[in-house]
Amino acid sequence: MPTAAPVEIGLPETTELIATDLPWKVLVWNDPINLMTYVTFVLQKLFGYDHERAHRLMLDVHLKGRAVVSHGQREKAELDVFRLHEHGLWATMEHDS
Amino acid sequence: MSPLFARTPVRRTRDGRFRLHLEPHERDLLRQLGPQLSALLDQPDQPGLARLFPPAYSDPAHSTHEEEYRRLMREDLVAGHREALETLAATAGAVDLSEQQLLGWARALNSVRLVLGTLLDVSEDDEHRDPASAEEAIYGWLSGLLGCAIDAMAGET
Repeated sequence: MPTAAPVEIGLPETTELIATDLPWKVLVWNDPINLMTYVTFVLQKLFGYDHERAHRLMLDVHLKGRAVVSHGQREKAELDVFRLHEHGLWATMEHDS
Repeated sequence: MSPLFARTPVRRTRDGRFRLHLEPHERDLLRQLGPQLSALLDQPDQPGLARLFPPAYSDPAHSTHEEEYRRLMREDLVAGHREALETLAATAGAVDLSEQQLLGWARALNSVRLVLGTLLDVSEDDEHRDPASAEEAIYGWLSGLLGCAIDAMAGET
């Protein structure tokens, strides 16, 4: 019986695992004032992301201008935006189309 | 570490607190920042405050939600900023801080930087700025101190 070649299973990035049927996404936008280490720290603290994930999101903000940091129903997304605003980050929410 | 500081200004101690090494004139400055920004928060139309109260909804089509967010959350947001500023002013002379207090410092320092940075028109292109101004010096020093506070909380010092 031939041995099946090992199949490499392409695990999606953790950020893509979040259910896509949640109607709102929360974005953090690049700005020239907030320190990169501060943005990473706040994302870890507010969302419980590990350093690697928070750092990657921060780099997306810095290099691509924005990053999606959470998804949810409207109330949850609005609370996330509020907590980001409390920490001085430039966050908005929009429909996840 | 930032060359702005002769020694690390914030260092985590073995008991999980944060030791502050700041000069008396630096503590005086920190003590004054809170009340100054707090006074600004009483004047909601100050242009320098725009970055502290960004819109919540990206799409102008959601203006009804946006108005509701402002109506319901603005007061809490002001109270949150004020609380952090009060923590900074009340503990500016402290020998050491709890993590919760240092987090208040970080939020307050960042709020002041957002207002100062807006007034100084900080952007990716900094050519138009005057590096010799007192505001620039304070902005740079606050940035250095915030960076050290974050490093200390993130476990890097």
